[in-house]
Amino acid sequence: MLDSFLYQICLDNFLFFIFSIVLVISALAIIIVNNSIYSVLFLVLNFVTSASLLFLLECEFISLLFIIIYVGAIAVLFLFVVMMLDVKVIESSKDLFKYLPIGSIVGLLFFIEITSVIYNSFLASPYLTKAAGIEYSNIYYNWYSKIDVLTDINSLGQILYTHYLLQFLIAGFILLLAVIGAVVLTMSNNAQKTKNQVFFKQISRSSKNILLV
Amino acid sequence: MNINLILLKNVLVIPELFIGISIIYLLLFGSIISTYKTYPLIQKLILKLSVLILIFSTYLVFNDQLLFNNGNLIFNETIICDFLSFSSKLLISLFSLVCVIMIKYYLIDQKINQFEYLIVILISILGFLLLCSSNDLITAYLAIELQSLAFYIMASFKKNSSFSVEAGLKYFILGSFSSALLLLGCSLIYGSLGSLNFEDFKLLYGSFSPEFNSNFEIYGSNSTIVLQLGLIFLLISLFFKLAVAPLHVWSPDVYENSPTSSTIFFVVVSKLGILVLLIRLFIYSFHGFIYTWRYYVVGFAVISVIIGSVTALEQKKLKSLLAYSSISHIGYILISFSSGTMDGLQSLYAYIIVYMLAGLCIWSIFLILRLKSFYFKKQNKDLSDLTLLFKSNNIIAICFSIVLLSVAGFPPLIGFLTKMGIFLTAIESSMYFVAIVSILTSVISTFYYIRIIKILFFEKFLVGNLFYPIEYTQTLIVITSFFLFIYLFINPTFLYLISYKISLLSFC
Repeated sequence: MLDSFLYQICLDNFLFFIFSIVLVISALAIIIVNNSIYSVLFLVLNFVTSASLLFLLECEFISLLFIIIYVGAIAVLFLFVVMMLDVKVIESSKDLFKYLPIGSIVGLLFFIEITSVIYNSFLASPYLTKAAGIEYSNIYYNWYSKIDVLTDINSLGQILYTHYLLQFLIAGFILLLAVIGAVVLTMSNNAQKTKNQVFFKQISRSSKNILLV
Repeated sequence: MNINLILLKNVLVIPELFIGISIIYLLLFGSIISTYKTYPLIQKLILKLSVLILIFSTYLVFNDQLLFNNGNLIFNETIICDFLSFSSKLLISLFSLVCVIMIKYYLIDQKINQFEYLIVILISILGFLLLCSSNDLITAYLAIELQSLAFYIMASFKKNSSFSVEAGLKYFILGSFSSALLLLGCSLIYGSLGSLNFEDFKLLYGSFSPEFNSNFEIYGSNSTIVLQLGLIFLLISLFFKLAVAPLHVWSPDVYENSPTSSTIFFVVVSKLGILVLLIRLFIYSFHGFIYTWRYYVVGFAVISVIIGSVTALEQKKLKSLLAYSSISHIGYILISFSSGTMDGLQSLYAYIIVYMLAGLCIWSIFLILRLKSFYFKKQNKDLSDLTLLFKSNNIIAICFSIVLLSVAGFPPLIGFLTKMGIFLTAIESSMYFVAIVSILTSVISTFYYIRIIKILFFEKFLVGNLFYPIEYTQTLIVITSFFLFIYLFINPTFLYLISYKISLLSFC
């Protein structure tokens, strides 16, 4: 038992354990770290490690999407927003002790419930029964030797443009709607108004006058 | 490539395709014309064109009925065309057509001059039509996203009003939260079943309870717990969209602060599409799990009936009062939904049709009463703005009071029959406590409907408010829906035939 456990850790799942440990630690660091720029950088680390976990599971398309969309677009956007807003570093220890007991109890209860449900229900699957003689482990299979060579993107595209044609069109409409909404809600019609500098307003803005709600 | 995919004979989504293509043409047309040299205002033009589009799409929906009597599945079984989807699509396109006609003068008064408003409305209607005929979770999710994104934009469309922006932001944050819950539920269901199609769900869990079936023992007794967790997530996120009571907090604020031309869509059109999805998921597909989900539905229904009736007593604004009354109506609908029987489905559908009709009538009266006052832009009416409406415009006052009495459930009106149907289904499926509580709260809710009637007729003021005259087509719509309330009580066969056919076909 112990031997097989060590064997799994050492060889098969070495990368998996490294990435998941980094993932958990960075996820914790996002909310613990005081400086918001550091926390966004930890968010980037989080996305990268989860993308590499997906890479280990051979879902290369989704992992590349993770890196392109989340790291490339969203996290960078966060970083810009954080740098543009003049955010004060808040002493969070007071709030931490105020909310920690209730929050941790509720979170722990929810976590235990979900894990017990998932553990119990998927334990009973026929792959896991001892009678079948197979123990579930994250064994590496070289699927390329077993099936035809089809990359993720190729197979996804073959399904998307045939069976899920209508859904593809609906997604296009959602994007169109997002564009219309963004243009309508941000475009202002009074373009004739000249934009000038208001010195007083500009000078009086400082980090001391921020209203923290 | 499957040739059946492209055959036009099998494509039963012609009204949706028509609306989609005409949205694109309308957008091109509007953006070309409105950026012309003189920057003309094309609001009225686009409104008339969108009315035309909705008339055509209503005809196309109506025209399709011969093709599908026993439920056709197209697009890899992701779209279903049966009587439920047919009748709800017809209802949604008809009611949205009437709503678009009603909002004309509001848009002119409030100076909502961007033509994109009507395009966003058309896109939301497209989302509802797709939601009614969706037969798998991906299509349903995409349709819900399409519809709710359009609603966020409609809520925050008046950019210069901070109320409207707040309503849009609140709606957006809470709505995206509930969409995340919906996705979590979908992924849990997919993880435990390996399919997203309602037909597969129906084959697996449609007609029998897995607890009493020995075939499921090989997977262990706990095998359906993840599935049930996913179902609960789906239920809660859909209740969020429907504004059922413990999850209702966003709805009065959003209804009150967003422009009234958007609110009429939120109230009248939005509930039916999500209820159709609820029927498809929980009665059509997962009927075997009725002993799991019905407790949640009953609990939410009772709480929303109580909160919707009691909290509305304190409201001073007409809009938030109507929002709370719609919460209590959704509670009544969920009571008959939780019975899970054929009678329950029938009374649900009859109730939702009458609810939409009453909502249409009340909100169109709300829209066409334009106060003659110094502050002419004021549209968010207090209850006191309606004092002595009987003396200034007696026909509108009589219409308003009759519709309010029907909503409260007074006997010679259709609201009485549908409400009684709800209580009878609750008693028939032996939910006596629920029936007693809902009957008592409906007595409480009668109070504030009658208080509005008292304000309309018997207030001790010498002068009431003056209103602008009302246009011909709008009065026609209000009077037609007013006479429908009396006619449907005398001859409710039409209503009950449609709802009975739906309930029959949903169980076979």
